[in-house]
Amino acid sequence: MFGLLESGFAQFYWGHALMIVIGLVLVYLAIAKKMEPLLLVPIGFGIILVNLPLSGMMDYELMLRAPTAGVVMEIGMNEGESFKSEALVCKLDSGEIRTPVFGRVDTLRVTKGETVKKGQVIARLITMQQTNQAVYPTQPIGLLSRVFHYGVMWQILPPLMFLCLGALTDFGPMIANPKTLLLGAAAQFGVYFAFFLSLACGFTLPEASSIGIIGGAEGPTTIYVTSILAPHIIGATAVACYSYMAMVPLILPPIIKLLTTKNERLIYMKPKLRKVAKIEKIIFPLVATIFVILFVPSSAPLMGCFMMGNLLKECGVTERLSNTMQTAFVDIITILLTLAIGASMPAETFLQPTTLLILILGVVSFASAAAAGVLLAKFMNLFLKEKINPMIGAAGVSAVPMSARVVQAMGQKESKKNYLLMHAMGPNVAGAIGAAIAGGVFIGILR
Amino acid sequence: MMIDWSFAMKIAAGGFGLVFMLLTLLAVVIWLSKEVIERLFTHGRAPH
Repeated sequence: MFGLLESGFAQFYWGHALMIVIGLVLVYLAIAKKMEPLLLVPIGFGIILVNLPLSGMMDYELMLRAPTAGVVMEIGMNEGESFKSEALVCKLDSGEIRTPVFGRVDTLRVTKGETVKKGQVIARLITMQQTNQAVYPTQPIGLLSRVFHYGVMWQILPPLMFLCLGALTDFGPMIANPKTLLLGAAAQFGVYFAFFLSLACGFTLPEASSIGIIGGAEGPTTIYVTSILAPHIIGATAVACYSYMAMVPLILPPIIKLLTTKNERLIYMKPKLRKVAKIEKIIFPLVATIFVILFVPSSAPLMGCFMMGNLLKECGVTERLSNTMQTAFVDIITILLTLAIGASMPAETFLQPTTLLILILGVVSFASAAAAGVLLAKFMNLFLKEKINPMIGAAGVSAVPMSARVVQAMGQKESKKNYLLMHAMGPNVAGAIGAAIAGGVFIGILR
Repeated sequence: MMIDWSFAMKIAAGGFGLVFMLLTLLAVVIWLSKEVIERLFTHGRAPH
């Protein structure tokens, strides 16, 4: 008979409850406070779904194989039993076999006294944990694990998201004032600063790269880099990136105020930028694609999609494709990507001290990126005849268009004459390109 | 676990340098294409 012991309650523990609360808080912030609702509602809901035990939504099948031949001396677990990572499955006369992940035993394929060959399947395990696929290949068997595996781990959804972002991006302000590209480049300092801090905290090079890239403030870039270099921390890096993007209005103002004087914040910039010709907007994505990918080939999936999306928008003859990418297609990709990211946060892997550390390092990465943009703008003012308001440097952190809006609001607060939005959009979109290049460099070196 | 700090330094310096160089290059290319377009198409005025 189906009773409480067969229901999810039997496996429920405080960690699941805490994660469900976190999911509910994200949904609350999105609905009640309007904080990035398109992202936080599906992420929050994904977290809730994956932390309901036995739902199977994020399950993977792992066939555990004998690393050496031997005779089974002892069986360490029973079918249906839950286990933590490194739990004993069985003892062979040639050594012990332990689980590489947490999960539960579906079936045991050996008995005591049996002789097993090298590579023979010992047990079929069910887990929600990401593994090193070269050593422990898993097969997704749940709805969300399939979306996550084929969408995120196969690196399909993040580049497609970049395709849509390209169709939504206007490079006009950046083309009108190419100096702002330097501010977007300077903001990538945050990526490398957090990279070093992460190494100092004991993370490996691939993990440190995935944490550092949070400072690029581009969700798809962070997910893309982490899915290749350190898939086991993808939940933490993705949630850090999207949360900090939602918190840009809280993070940027104190940094800008700390690094600029009142007079600098009052620097007036003409509200109108020069009009950019259509042909310039068509040439830019083509030239950027060729130059960047020739120098950093591993940035091709992100840069190529970003620039192709933009070309489809600007060329004027593919309006239907561009419109689809700006509306229905971006929504579909957003739903799949964010739901999968939420589902990558089961309590067993997310509630670790390292997650808290990643969240702290993420905010450092974000803050130092903004600071570097402001400082370079101040430095450039030493040489420029027509000064730039250093606040626009903070928009180099990307997080398009939120950080540019924050700069605009701060500019208006200082002086009603100052309209900085279009000026801030330059470093803003340059930051997105810079982050994609930085991610490509990490992948090129460390994959 | 031992960290190869000199390798990490190379990744960071090389990466940051490359990002900076590429975006500077793009800035120059944008400026150049504006100049060329103005001269070629409109004798001093950008086409709209």
